[in-house]
Amino acid sequence: MTTTFDSLSAGDLIDGPQFAVTRESIRLFCDASLDYNPLHLDDEYMKGSFGKTHFGGIIMHGMNNFGLISRMITDWAYPAGAVHRRLETRWVKPVKPGDLIQPSGIIKAKQATAKSRWVLIDVVVKNQHGEKVASGEAMVEFPMDLFCQ
Amino acid sequence: MAQAQAFETDFWKDANLRKVWDEIVPGAPRKTIPYTLTKEAIELYCRSVGETHPVYFDEAYARTTRHGGLIAPPSIHILLMFSCTPADDWMRSPGTVNAGQSWSYNIPARPNDVIRLEARALDKFIKRERLFVVHDNVFFNQHGDVICSGRGWTIRPM
Repeated sequence: MTTTFDSLSAGDLIDGPQFAVTRESIRLFCDASLDYNPLHLDDEYMKGSFGKTHFGGIIMHGMNNFGLISRMITDWAYPAGAVHRRLETRWVKPVKPGDLIQPSGIIKAKQATAKSRWVLIDVVVKNQHGEKVASGEAMVEFPMDLFCQ
Repeated sequence: MAQAQAFETDFWKDANLRKVWDEIVPGAPRKTIPYTLTKEAIELYCRSVGETHPVYFDEAYARTTRHGGLIAPPSIHILLMFSCTPADDWMRSPGTVNAGQSWSYNIPARPNDVIRLEARALDKFIKRERLFVVHDNVFFNQHGDVICSGRGWTIRPM
């Protein structure tokens, strides 16, 4: 069934894609984002401590979570003619090679304004243990002149 | 149009040139570099997060959409943040930990856009003995249109 603004209700779920995190996927994200921070590359460096934090090995870029959430939102919005307008995220737990992560969303609210219509979505990324690794909120616009893709 | 030199992937190089937390001045602009976004860079970014939507890859399909041509995914600013800043930018300091970001999207970036960044530190503070800097960023295309704007919270290396 095609998603429409009117058919949406608070509590509706959005499933995102599973993503297997490997050293290679992290390296690919380095090349794609140009973020070569040694946090994501250097095993020796990551044996150290960062103030009060000890990661114990390389970690995935937090923005890789962001990219996955954004992919989930656009894959959901584009067929409905809707537009991904905002994403706010916080990183809760490091993600490491071997983890399997998956974003998901739940419709929190929808609202009409003077010239458009908006949907607020609580988003989360969980790992294979069901632990939350990232959370946040997205906002999607359902324009009056829908153009479904 | 000016373009970044070959990208230095060794973030330790030039580390001594970058500002530490004490030297970062909230409100002061960061140096930035115009960057021409290529179709290849968009495709590589898409591959890294598993994006497969044809509006990013298929010119014929993309022409039938509201965009009238190929676009980049909204989250392309992840790449733009590094491609539009020089090697001595403090965002590259090894050990910089990203704590969270928020972004608003106006219009999509497109292949061959010449993208300009206006960026600054907005705030810095200490919380639970950690050194935080908030950064504030706006990306524009060659027409002066806002592509997206965003804010991030980083924990600075000690």
